[in-house]
Amino acid sequence: MTLTAWRMWAGVLGILLSASAVARPVSYTGGWTLIQTANRASTAGLLHYSLSHNVSVGVRHEWQRDDDVTLTVIQPTLLAKRWYGQNYQANVYLTGGLGTATDRSAAGLGSDTASFVGVMTDWETRTLFVSYEARFLEQGKLGNHSMHAARVGWAPYTGDTGELHTWLMLEVDHRKHFDNKTTVTPLLRFFKGPALFEAGYNVTDSAPMLNFTYRF
Amino acid sequence: MKNILLTLTVILASLPVLADDNQKITDHHAQHEMNHGEMNHGEMNHDEMNHDEMNHGEMNHGEMNHDEMNHGPEHNHGSHEHPTENAKEDVMTMSVPAITTTDDISAALANGGAPVVVDVLGVVCDFCAVAMNKIFGKREEVSALYVDLDKKTLSLVVNKGASLSDEDIETLAKRAGYRIAAIRRNAEALGG
Repeated sequence: MTLTAWRMWAGVLGILLSASAVARPVSYTGGWTLIQTANRASTAGLLHYSLSHNVSVGVRHEWQRDDDVTLTVIQPTLLAKRWYGQNYQANVYLTGGLGTATDRSAAGLGSDTASFVGVMTDWETRTLFVSYEARFLEQGKLGNHSMHAARVGWAPYTGDTGELHTWLMLEVDHRKHFDNKTTVTPLLRFFKGPALFEAGYNVTDSAPMLNFTYRF
Repeated sequence: MKNILLTLTVILASLPVLADDNQKITDHHAQHEMNHGEMNHGEMNHDEMNHDEMNHGEMNHGEMNHDEMNHGPEHNHGSHEHPTENAKEDVMTMSVPAITTTDDISAALANGGAPVVVDVLGVVCDFCAVAMNKIFGKREEVSALYVDLDKKTLSLVVNKGASLSDEDIETLAKRAGYRIAAIRRNAEALGG
């Protein structure tokens, strides 16, 4: 990536932070979280354990459907900064992964070491949500990928504790190795107690999005 | 790409930021309907007042009009800034919510437990409530608890004879991933 491109993405991140939401890849001390995601690029599962309120370690398994490559990595995540407000919360998470990528296609390219680094940031009130995440993945001979995604969300009502919380969201993602590099996905988020479910449809790439998170 | 950015900008600009808080402020004023117009603050001498004879219930706050008040010869409205809506929010958030009663909390209080209300910062969703329920719920000292997202409080009942210090509560909140702003106990926690 060129210096100009780094500056551009740093600028985008800065804007999001200054405005600044809810991936929540770190839970409470001693908490387990199961996160399943399926979007136009991949289907993935992450099971993580929070060693403290700001560090979690998990195992991630991901199937990149386009290339038919699977990725299995150990994924640590650090809550680098949290802002606490009476009516909001904002977070910056740094994450990484180290493991193996395996080609499952007919090409039979075998396996290689895989690693990634990522950043996630979010800002959230009970009715507004903004987030941004980026990931840079290296898989040796199986190719390198980068991904950026930003979201805005709005809750039409404020649910109290234990009630069903509903969000209307819009995600824009950018994946350089896809024909449609930048796409848009409107989605609905339903949130109740320890469970979160998201359903959307990528209108640019005609692909469903289904995400599920459970805390225990 | 330009169209997407434009769409995002329009959506963000149209969202009702902090609509709930503004609503709460409006409701607060609606409840009091004060008219300060008939008050002459400039002539008031607090030391001469007989507070024992005052009955707040008989006052007519609805006819008060702040703009017409006489605050005294030294008071110049133009020489200072009046609180903005946001500043009012800050003042009003100083009001102290009482313990949230659930069946569990009522039963624990009836058994002689001590009420505690904790103002928590950063509590915006059910995951926050789950985290605090898990962390505080494991403590033997706690017989009942409830995280109130509307009030942004954690209501606790500490078992009769047990104790949970402010430092303990602060540490537990931190383990859950949050910060506390204030802790109230006993009569104050009950709203007394």
